[in-house]
Formats: sequence, structure tokens, C-alpha cells
Amino acid sequence: MTKRITIDPVTRIEGHLRIDVEVDGGSVQKAWASCTMWRGLETILRGRDPREGWLFAQRFCGVCTTVHAVASVRAVEDALQLEIPANAQYIRNLILIGHALHDHIVHFYHLSALDWVDITTVPQVDSARAASAAEGFSSWPGNSRRELEAVQNKVKGLLATGQLGIFSHGYWGHPAMRLSPEMNLILFAHYLQALDFQRKANQVVGILGGKTPHIQNLAVGGVMNAINLNSLATFNMDRLGVLQSLLQGLVPFVQEAYFVDACLLASSYPEWFNYGKGVTNYLAVPDLPMDAKATRFDLPGGVIQNGSIHSVRSIKDWKDEAFRQAVSEDITHSWYEGNGALPPWKGKTDPYYTDFRDDGKYTWVKAPRYEGAPMQVGPLSNILVGYAVGHPSTRKWTDAAFERISSYGGKEPVSAEKLQSTMGRYLARAIRSAMLSDLALKHWQLLADNILKGDASTYNPPQFPAHECEGVGMHEAPRGALSHWVVIAKGAFSNYQAVVPTTWNASPRDEHGILGPYESSLLGNPVVDPSKPLEILRTVHSFDPCMACACHTLDPAGRMLATVQVL
Amino acid sequence: MSVTIIGLGNVLLGDDGFGPFVVEVLRRSYILPAEVELLDLGTPGLGLISYLCGSEAVVIVDTVAGVGIPGDVRVYEGADLERLPSHPRVSPHDPAVLEALSVARLAGKGPHDVCLVGTLPGSLELGAGLSPQVRAAVDVAAEIVRRRVQERGFEVQRREAAHVEPDWWMASKAGRFPLPCPRSKKPAEL
Repeated sequence: MTKRITIDPVTRIEGHLRIDVEVDGGSVQKAWASCTMWRGLETILRGRDPREGWLFAQRFCGVCTTVHAVASVRAVEDALQLEIPANAQYIRNLILIGHALHDHIVHFYHLSALDWVDITTVPQVDSARAASAAEGFSSWPGNSRRELEAVQNKVKGLLATGQLGIFSHGYWGHPAMRLSPEMNLILFAHYLQALDFQRKANQVVGILGGKTPHIQNLAVGGVMNAINLNSLATFNMDRLGVLQSLLQGLVPFVQEAYFVDACLLASSYPEWFNYGKGVTNYLAVPDLPMDAKATRFDLPGGVIQNGSIHSVRSIKDWKDEAFRQAVSEDITHSWYEGNGALPPWKGKTDPYYTDFRDDGKYTWVKAPRYEGAPMQVGPLSNILVGYAVGHPSTRKWTDAAFERISSYGGKEPVSAEKLQSTMGRYLARAIRSAMLSDLALKHWQLLADNILKGDASTYNPPQFPAHECEGVGMHEAPRGALSHWVVIAKGAFSNYQAVVPTTWNASPRDEHGILGPYESSLLGNPVVDPSKPLEILRTVHSFDPCMACACHTLDPAGRMLATVQVL
Repeated sequence: MSVTIIGLGNVLLGDDGFGPFVVEVLRRSYILPAEVELLDLGTPGLGLISYLCGSEAVVIVDTVAGVGIPGDVRVYEGADLERLPSHPRVSPHDPAVLEALSVARLAGKGPHDVCLVGTLPGSLELGAGLSPQVRAAVDVAAEIVRRRVQERGFEVQRREAAHVEPDWWMASKAGRFPLPCPRSKKPAEL
């Protein structure tokens, strides 16, 4: 019998992501992804001064503030063909890396680890055995017996009260939870330690951005950080030193705890390399420019089509004409007036709400398409593109992950091919983090060298032409390829469209009925117990969903704000 | 002892900007000692944990759902909040006040003195700016926060320029900078 499951976190006023699946014979047969809140935030920018667009754009979304700010200034600079100084590139890069590391750490531990880690088994662990196992996996100092025992006691205390609080919604004891109690303890210890490191990563953003969330240092034309090595009041050697030690402090956690934990998870749950493949077209945009003119990048961009992961069409830089021509947004199944697809610069955002209609309109998310095809974006696309073009750092860390997984006794070797899966997305995010932690130190060095060479410039003033101009600003954000598309006329925005990573991934069907990445990745996903759809959450979480960036209304009446509805 | 005052909400969605607005009013109206921190955190979701770790006392200002009329101000003490049931998390955006508090506590770094000052929102439509009822609630909430800070032994001094409205730049049509080049007489529709 077909059962329909709706996972719908509904608040009184608005909702975010709703997933509907039909389950038959223990696996998903049909799937719909719906965003239940209107994403029309861009309309607020029409008529505004392009130099302040980023201040609004970073308020689109409370978690991804920084990424929208940077994409916005890049879009305006592209429209004006305005170069920015090398220092400004490096400072922006360091902010973006700090943000991404913070975001990836929070995703792995605080957002999704408890889909795989059953904390209720922790009390029975022999902490000495757990510590000796952990020490065999890595040199991370947080694996000591004392540390693990302290965490075990915290969990015991929590369970003894019978008040699991936030952990009460976990699917504890679910048959799909299969880590050993020792592994559960090790991973949960890192969950608590991760709190310090995500904060350190966020401090990088704060030091350079002036404030976090909502950085204050950007400008169309560069950054507003004053550099003067002889002044205490500006960015000087002291500040550079503080920044360097923060970045150095992040590397061991990312490379010896997070990266290792992701490999352990992958070797313990090998079947999850067989689920969640979904859309096999991948898009990544180039990022972390190494020069003022943005001709060379530390993260390569490209397009992979139909799962041919060895052939890539490179996106060499942000001027790539093919990218500009290829992107469109289809609204056939979205709550906007009309049907079919339009390029972003001509995009319209006229709401037309109907009910949730399986065969009609059912979401506020538009369906972005690349040459008419849905694309998967995110760390996996980033890694697959880098791997295919032979990017040295991607190769190094991806191969290191594969070796580690086999050394943990994985029966089947993991390959780039296998990364196209639910587990592959978790692993790719950890590979990317390890790579970014190396790149953080590299871009710190680029900045320090350039300043010591005597270059203190951070800003080139923009000139606005009288004629209309168009621009696109790209960023390879934590959740994937982000692009802001702007049209500027007479010194004001006349159109503004943000094609965000979650729009690509949470895309609904298009006019040809082709499913988006969330939807198609869920087909065939196992569901042992439809009242506890843990397996669905695993695949959905693997994308790190980030829905419209939302009203933040708490319900003190204590109503269940999310429901898992089984029909 | 230190106090962290946190405003939550999206400033581009009408009355949802209540929390950040209260923070700006407090910033503009009072001279606060160094131990009292004012933060406009927008809608940080799980990112809230960072700002709770290490604080001894926290006052959160946010919109709340409930029965009543827009602009009603409600105060919830920490114990009231902790009794609420939790729910499965799908995205990092889901409101995370309770979750962030529990995680910070479990890590042994959470504040023990917590309260939430909330108002019932009227309009949450796209657009910056508060409805008149909720704008009036801002002053009520700011006064509650001020008293709470003072009760914890801090001197809170009113500024001379306290009657000036905060710089709520996102609601101003004029923009922050002088125009880059002459605009047409009729600006594009907002």
C-alpha cells in the first residue's frame, strides 16, 4: 500500500521546506520539494542605489548573510566592469573561507550528525576502549580518555533526568542507526568540541568584516578595511598576527577531527553510497580569486552533464559567456504568474498562489535550469569538478578520503563515481573543508605578502554610466553556486534576481516535468518505518537545505512547530 | 557578571524587525557599561549558539506567536522556555532559541539567567519598517530590558539625545549615499 509522508515544519505564520514522499515497498516512489514561504526579497532592491544593495542582500537570509553581501558587490562590479585591488580580493576570500568553515562544521555536527549518531548508547561505552580506538584514527588531542569520559558523564546526566530536551526528537534506537557505542561517543564528543571551532571560524569573519553576522566592511569597488602597518587604529601587523593564529587554530580540528569523522561515517554506512544520487548534472562556479583582475582562481568552476564525471566544461572566470547564456528560471510549477522559463536578467517575480497541487503549482521556489537541465550544486559539485579537472588540492584531499575509508575496513573501495550519493555529499563537504583550511593559510599569506610589499590599497571608486548595464556576481557558497543578476539603469537597480544554491537543489519540476535534485535524490530512498522517516532526513540533510531565510517566530504556547505527517 | 542582549528577526519583513529595532533603540538611548553587550543577530538559526556560549545572563528580544493583539509584549523566563517541546530540525534556519540554549548548556557554557521579551507581530509582509502598534511596543520592551539590566547591578544612564529615532536605514527610501549619477525624476517602483 502506498503511504504518503509529509515532513512539514509549519509555524503559525510561515514555513520553510516541505517534503512530500509516497512510500511503497519500503522505499520512496514519488517526491515533491516545496518551499512554503514566498521568496520575493529581491523586489525590495528595485530602485535602490547599487552601492548599498549588499546591505539589503545580506539580510535576505540570516545564516548566509556574508555570501549574499559578497555576491551583490561582485554583481555590481561586473556590471560596471570595475576591478578591485588585490588586498580586497584576499580579504573577501578570507571572510568567505571563515564563513564556509563555520557553516560546514555546524552542518556536519550540529545539524546532521544526530541522524547517524545514537547518543542513547553512550552510557554503556567503555571510555578507555573508545579512547584507544579514537587515538588509532587520528592525532586529535580531543580524543583523550579524560575528555571522552567527561562527555560520557554529561550524556549520562542528561539521560538520567529523563528530560532529553532538544534531543527528544531524535530517532533513537532506529534500525538505521548502526554505529558502535564507542563511535557514538567519539562523534558526540566532537559535536561538543565543534562549538568552539565554529566560533573561531566565525571570529575570522568578525575581525575582517567588522561585525558578524552582517559584515560592514564591503564596498562596491573593494573593502573598507584601512591598511596601515604603522597605525594602531587600522589593519596592521598585530591584526594580521591575530588572524593567522585563529586560522592556524582551525586547521587541526578540521583536518584531524571533522575530516576523519566524515570518513569514519562513510566507512560505517557504506550502503549510503548507493542512495540519493538524484540529478547528475553538476555546476560549480570559480571562486577565491588569486589576483586583482580575477583571472586565476583557487576553486575551479565547471559544468558536468549526465554524470560524465570525467569530462567538464570549465567555467574559467566570472566573465564566462556560456554561463550567462545558459541560466534560466522556470515557473511552471511555482507560485508565480505564468509558465515556462526566463533568463534571470529578464526574470519576473509576480506571485500567484494556489494550493499544493501535485500536478500543478506547489512551491515558492523557481526551477533554475542550465541549458534547460536541472543542476545539482554544493560541495559535491565543487569536488567533482575539481577532481575532473585535476585540481591538485581537490585530488589530494579526495584521494586521502578514499584511502582512509578503505583503511577503516570498507569492503568496497570508494571512487569519484560513488561520491554521487547521499554519503558522497557529506564526504564532499568534509573534503572541501579540509581543502579550505589549507587555502585559508594560503590566502592569509597572499594578503600578508602583498601588504608587506607596500600595497595598502583596498578600494577603487565606482563610476556609474548613464546607459543601462547588466552584471552577474558569482560565489561558490557553502551550499553551492550562488549568482546575483542585476540590471542597473541611471544609478539604480532596475532588476535584481538572486539564483541561490537552494533554489537549484530544491527546484520543483519544470515545464517538461523533470524533477529537481532534492526530489529525484529521494526516489528509491529506503524508509523502514514511515512514522520515523529518518532515512529521508538523511538524504535531505545531505544537501544542507537553506530555505527562505525567514521570519523568526517562536511559539511559546509550545505547539509542535513541525509535523511528520503520515497519510 | 555580564549581560548579552540579543535582537532576533528579519528587518526586511515588517514587524519581524522588532528585535533588531529594540537593540538599536537601546543603543541610541542608553550609555551601557562594557559588561553589557547589544547584538542584532538577525535570524541566525543555529548560529545563535556561538553568542550564547560564555554569557552569564541573556535577554532575547524577538517576535512570538500567541493569542492577543499586535504589539502585546510578553516576557518569558528561562524556565518557561525550557518546558516547551522541541521538534525535528530540517534546515539551519528553523528558529533555534531553545535548541541553542540546550546545546550551550550541555557544553557547560550556557547562560543560566535567560529571558525572552517578545511581541505579537501585526504585519510580516515584505518591506522594512514596523507597524505603529509594534513600534509602540519597542519602547515598552526597551524599558523592560533596561530594568532587567539594572536589576543585575549595572548602571544604565540615559543619553541626552535619547529622543532621536534610531538609524533604521533599510526603511529609508533615500538611500545611504549621495546619488552616484542623476536619477530620472520618477524613481523605479519599489
